[in-house]
Amino acid sequence: MSSPENPGDGLEAPRTNPAVRHRLSRLLDPPILFSGLTVLFLAVIWTATLNLTAREHEAANRRDAALTVDTANTYEAQVLRALREIDNTLKLVRYRLDQGPATEALDDLRSRELLPPEYLFTVTIVDARRRVVASTHPDTAGDMPVMDYFQLLREDDGMIIGLPRRDPESEEWRLWFSRRIEPAGQQYSGAVAVSVHAGYFVSGYEAEALGERGVLGLVGTDGVFRVRRTGDDVSAGTTTDYDALVPEEAADNETAEVRLNPWDDTRRYTVARKLFDFPLAIVVGLSEAEHHAEVAVIERTYMWRAAGASLLVILVMAVLGRMSWQLHKARNRAMEERVAHAQRVEYLAYHDNLTDLPNRALFSRLLTQGMQQARRYDKRLALLFLDLDRFKAINDSLGHEAGDELLQEVSRRLIASVRESDIVARLGGDEFVILLPEINDGTQAAPVADKILAAVNKPFSLAGQDFRISVSIGVALFPVDGEDEQTLMKHADIAMYHAKEEGKNNFQFYSEELNSDSLERLALESSMRNALENDEFRLFYQSKQDMATGRIIGMEALLRWQHPDLGLIAPMKFIPLAEENGLIVPIGRWVLNTACRQNVAWQEEGFPKLSMAVNLSARQFLDENLLDDVKSALHESGMAPELLELEITESMIMHDMPRTIRLLRELKKMRIRIAIDDFGTGYSSLSTLKEFPLDTIKIDGSFIRDVADSAEDRGLTEAVIAVGKSLSLTVVAEGVESLQQADFLRAHSCDQFQGFYINKPMAAEEFASSVREQLRDKV
Amino acid sequence: MINPVRTLRGMLSGLLLGFAAAAAAEVVVVVSSQNPVEALSRAQLADIYLGRLHRFPNGDPVIPIDQKERSPAHDEFYSEYLGQSPAQVKQHWSKLIFTGRGQPPRSVSDDLAAAETVAGNPNAIGYLDAGLVDDRLRIIAIE
Repeated sequence: MSSPENPGDGLEAPRTNPAVRHRLSRLLDPPILFSGLTVLFLAVIWTATLNLTAREHEAANRRDAALTVDTANTYEAQVLRALREIDNTLKLVRYRLDQGPATEALDDLRSRELLPPEYLFTVTIVDARRRVVASTHPDTAGDMPVMDYFQLLREDDGMIIGLPRRDPESEEWRLWFSRRIEPAGQQYSGAVAVSVHAGYFVSGYEAEALGERGVLGLVGTDGVFRVRRTGDDVSAGTTTDYDALVPEEAADNETAEVRLNPWDDTRRYTVARKLFDFPLAIVVGLSEAEHHAEVAVIERTYMWRAAGASLLVILVMAVLGRMSWQLHKARNRAMEERVAHAQRVEYLAYHDNLTDLPNRALFSRLLTQGMQQARRYDKRLALLFLDLDRFKAINDSLGHEAGDELLQEVSRRLIASVRESDIVARLGGDEFVILLPEINDGTQAAPVADKILAAVNKPFSLAGQDFRISVSIGVALFPVDGEDEQTLMKHADIAMYHAKEEGKNNFQFYSEELNSDSLERLALESSMRNALENDEFRLFYQSKQDMATGRIIGMEALLRWQHPDLGLIAPMKFIPLAEENGLIVPIGRWVLNTACRQNVAWQEEGFPKLSMAVNLSARQFLDENLLDDVKSALHESGMAPELLELEITESMIMHDMPRTIRLLRELKKMRIRIAIDDFGTGYSSLSTLKEFPLDTIKIDGSFIRDVADSAEDRGLTEAVIAVGKSLSLTVVAEGVESLQQADFLRAHSCDQFQGFYINKPMAAEEFASSVREQLRDKV
Repeated sequence: MINPVRTLRGMLSGLLLGFAAAAAAEVVVVVSSQNPVEALSRAQLADIYLGRLHRFPNGDPVIPIDQKERSPAHDEFYSEYLGQSPAQVKQHWSKLIFTGRGQPPRSVSDDLAAAETVAGNPNAIGYLDAGLVDDRLRIIAIE
């Protein structure tokens, strides 16, 4: 159970965690991590080093103080012993003097080795008038120092320690120790003295312990240094402030403090100690600077080590940091590549890979956005639905590569035809859509559509050929023609189909009527799929008559659709649809088979050898199985091939001429006749026309219609007939509706004609009876 | 072996000491002829005279006999054989005596006294002018 007081606890934790985690991950960034570690290591190294040197310093202090005290203790003992030995000698000599003369006494003592080594010590005996009476040193001359003498007079008993005196001969300082001679019960009668060179008392100076700047010395209570040594430098006779130097009483746990020694202005660990029983004090000192120099060397060593370690740490960290940074970068790069890949994948998902235009999915999104914008700012949109005319034929004849190239060129032209803010997308196949998001009223779309038509109409150069294509455009407006994507698209599509029906290469705005037309078309298309099975197609036949004799010489089979609901449907209405959805091929096959069978049936009934003309659609003509279909139709029906005439249009043969020629030759080999339908409406050149193995040309009804009124059409018709004649072709006039027309054609030696004037298309039965009638008339 | 350089130096120092010493005194190290020691190294000799060695190499105790300071043989002996000045020797003994670690050798007044003392004690070793060496003494080689 969570406590009711803190209901937010559970939510709070995950909310703060990402921030903390983010900060932590920031810390793990190589530059920060390694800088931090470096600083940490350096801090550790230097803290340890400084700590160590401080300790070293302290230890050195203690060591030096202790060493000074130790040295002082040793020195004190040595001085005391030396002084006592000297005093003992004095006492011994004085004692011996009681038993004989001075010279004898000294010789006796010396021979018994009771005197100190003459090497260093000189024993001298003076009389009451300070004259030397005996000496161990033969050269000792002159008198006893006068100061000592007066002191001797004053002191009753005890050793007098004289002031240091410089030996005039050897220039060395000497110290005199003396005692008065008082034979028992007598007055002062002289003195015995021991002199020794002052350096003797400081010969224990050890450079190892005291260094070059230490001090070892004896100072009298009078403040006069009896001797003092620093390094190899021995001096004597200088004075100092005794009270300041030597403490009154030696403490038990005496320590050596650093003091400034006034005689040579040197700071030393100094011990000064009054000697027991003698008016002297020892002075021992260790130079602070000198000893610190040793510590300083150690400290410097530590510092260098620390510096070396620091450098190593920095180097290692730099190397590690660099490696880590590179790793980081590589990881980032991999991440970027992944993102780029994802972006690429997304791009591919939303773009047509052939033209790089937005695809249907992206366009759908853009359209939805556009509609939202338009709704918010109360604007209009125009949606243009484009479908290339004849694209399938091009794709089939020139190949997919050429088709793709064409689509790319078209997309470039489309983009060039609109503003940058307009959106061009490819929905697939040859369908494009264009969204014009910034228009205020529908009429603004018209110039754009015109521009697009013109752009697409410019000739293309593909696979080494120049040719033209066109596009049909349907325009739907938002919001009047639809307020949602689906409706708008559907209505633009409907408008586009209308443009197709209007002869292609144009644009149409959507309207409600179009919608109903379109519904009809949709119904047709769906019912067409079942029409073959349901046997809803019918063939009508229109007779073809000889111009001169007026006899029926053949017929043209015409397709009609007997729709169960809509009644009879004209080919104009459904054949384009069938062309588009490809049903024209099976339908065409059915037409061929039915026409052939009908022809044979009539032959068997006893009809004359009437020719049967069958129209081939463009799609059928391009179909690979055409020859097989024709063969099987003839074979199954048993129809004579020379009675079959296949009608094709000019535009069909002009497309891929080598193939057409090959195909036509194959057909000719089968003895099938070939007719060019609607001759004059296309733009076939006469020179190429003769390349084809043709039998018949059929003059288009539009020329014939106005032949009575239009001199121009008359001229054209005459010319066409002349061309046909010169190429030895049968010339057929279509759509002959009046006597005048027939007369004109007859006058110009047209071979055959067909049209309402004689015969309109009729169902098989009707046609048969009309033929029978004519046959009877003839008979 | 007598080094000619040393001989020359000895001669020079003899000259410096005075024209009276026309005998060009050469100081030699001697022991009693009863002493079996034939030779000593320079270092052994120095150790004996500086109080650091108290026995001959064969284990017998050694008693070094010195001569008085400032006698001709003394100075020459110390400078020639020990390579020490009188002041250095004095400082050495000064320190040893002061610190209580030794006593200097007994010293006699001259070469004759040295000859007598050494001849009278098989454990003694001394130095004197080569001209004063007799049957009772034996010169030992210093290598």
